[in-house]
Amino acid sequence: MLVLEHVGKTYANGVRALDGVSLTVGPGEIVAIVGGSGCGKSTLLRAISGLDTPSQGRVLLDGQPITAPHEKIGIIFQEPRLLPWLTVADNVGFGLDDLPRAERDERVGRAVTRVGLIEKANMWPRELSGGQAQRVAIARALVPRPEVLLLDEPFSALDAFTRADLQDHLLDLWADAKPTLILVTHDVEEAIVLADRVMVMRPRPGCIHEEIVTDLPRPRDRQSAAFDFAKRRILAALDRSLDRLTVEHVEPKATAGAALWW
Amino acid sequence: MAVAAEEAPVERRERKSSSITRFTRPVLGIVIPVGLAVVWEFAVRAGWSNGRLVPPPSRIYEEFAELARTGELWRHVVVTLVRVALGFALGTVAGTILGAIAGYSIIVRRLIDPSLQGLRAVPSIAWIPLFILWLGIFETSKIALIAVGVFFPIYLGVMGAVMSVDRKIVEVGRAFRLSGFAMVRRILLPAVLPAYVIALRSGLGLGWMFVIAAEFMGASEGLGYLLIDGQQLGKPAEIVAAILAFAVLGKATDAVVALAAAPFLRWEDRFSAQAEVD
Repeated sequence: MLVLEHVGKTYANGVRALDGVSLTVGPGEIVAIVGGSGCGKSTLLRAISGLDTPSQGRVLLDGQPITAPHEKIGIIFQEPRLLPWLTVADNVGFGLDDLPRAERDERVGRAVTRVGLIEKANMWPRELSGGQAQRVAIARALVPRPEVLLLDEPFSALDAFTRADLQDHLLDLWADAKPTLILVTHDVEEAIVLADRVMVMRPRPGCIHEEIVTDLPRPRDRQSAAFDFAKRRILAALDRSLDRLTVEHVEPKATAGAALWW
Repeated sequence: MAVAAEEAPVERRERKSSSITRFTRPVLGIVIPVGLAVVWEFAVRAGWSNGRLVPPPSRIYEEFAELARTGELWRHVVVTLVRVALGFALGTVAGTILGAIAGYSIIVRRLIDPSLQGLRAVPSIAWIPLFILWLGIFETSKIALIAVGVFFPIYLGVMGAVMSVDRKIVEVGRAFRLSGFAMVRRILLPAVLPAYVIALRSGLGLGWMFVIAAEFMGASEGLGYLLIDGQQLGKPAEIVAAILAFAVLGKATDAVVALAAAPFLRWEDRFSAQAEVD
């Protein structure tokens, strides 16, 4: 169980990137966070990952506060960020350095096969296409068996075909161990394909504006009417999140600030 | 688009003639020196010049052979090589450690970098009198001078490399909870390696430059001494022979460093990688 309690982040230059974000995500749940650029999506994800610490509030995983990167939390970035000096297999096994060699090789072999890159296991990252590299990154994040996997716009740099392919692939991999997935995206379709719940965020300061439970049966048909309906609901919520900006954001900011004064 | 259009014909042309270029490309590089040598040799033989101040290739070769036969050449080469090796080792150790610390820590950088940059601006020869006063006329002062020359490019290269390690890659290390030594070994060290090899090679180049300055300041052995000896006794062939020895040694030691590093840099995604395969 991942719990966010009034998480806020104020950068050193005084910019309030996040303000009072509270969220509870159950095991195995897939939550998508969408919102316009600059609404603090990535900041929120980094706070959950422990790469950045929140200025207010806290992040709890199974009741334990997260203040630094944690072994049960994996992260996939927008770029694959493979280490260019390691082969594909060594990149996948990067987080398994503590394991005995035999077990590491076995788990890496399985993961590389699972993402369909076994014949590329001994290649350098530079020899991979963008989609293949991102699959290696997914394998690298999943191979230590995290309880929570964070994805920061993981497919936004890929073309539409590769993206759809990888979304399905990610769901496949998720089904193996069912970790909690938290996905930041600006692609509404991606959010609907993957997520059980979609959080629409609002900028300045970043906070959750609306929660939409899509509740579509899996596997999800991108062409179905229900899919289209969900898409329209989210787009409407996104519109509202930007429109109300000037009218509404003064108040909640003041109350949230006051709540933290003690 | 324009780039691709321009590149395509070049590639096609090269592929067509690859069997010829494989042979002609290295040959092309030695046409001018060999041509000049042949012309000069011919000019001296024909009596157009006596070749006293500019010895013809045959006389340089004789000088070389003579130096090699008497064992003089090896003695001087070994002395110079040892000086360069010791100075290079000292300068590399100091440059690597200080460069890494200055690249890593802003405070240390602010503390030591301005002074070091100031010292770097001092011409190398300016140190000689001081080093002789401090360290004596023999080996120590020479090695110190070479170490100073080697130090600066390595310090600068390592500092720059550490400072420019990709934050995103470091973050991967953090996400996998690497810290301290593990972060250095698994992320920072491999990341700076390509730049470090270049720094080592430029440091080595300066080491060869400084060894001559060092040997000019009163040596009785070494290739630099051979140069001075040739000048004082009016033996231009000996000077040219020593210069050639420097060229061969400099190139050979540089190649050793480059070759030793190559297995660790196979992963590099370089613009020039394709060119070197050809």
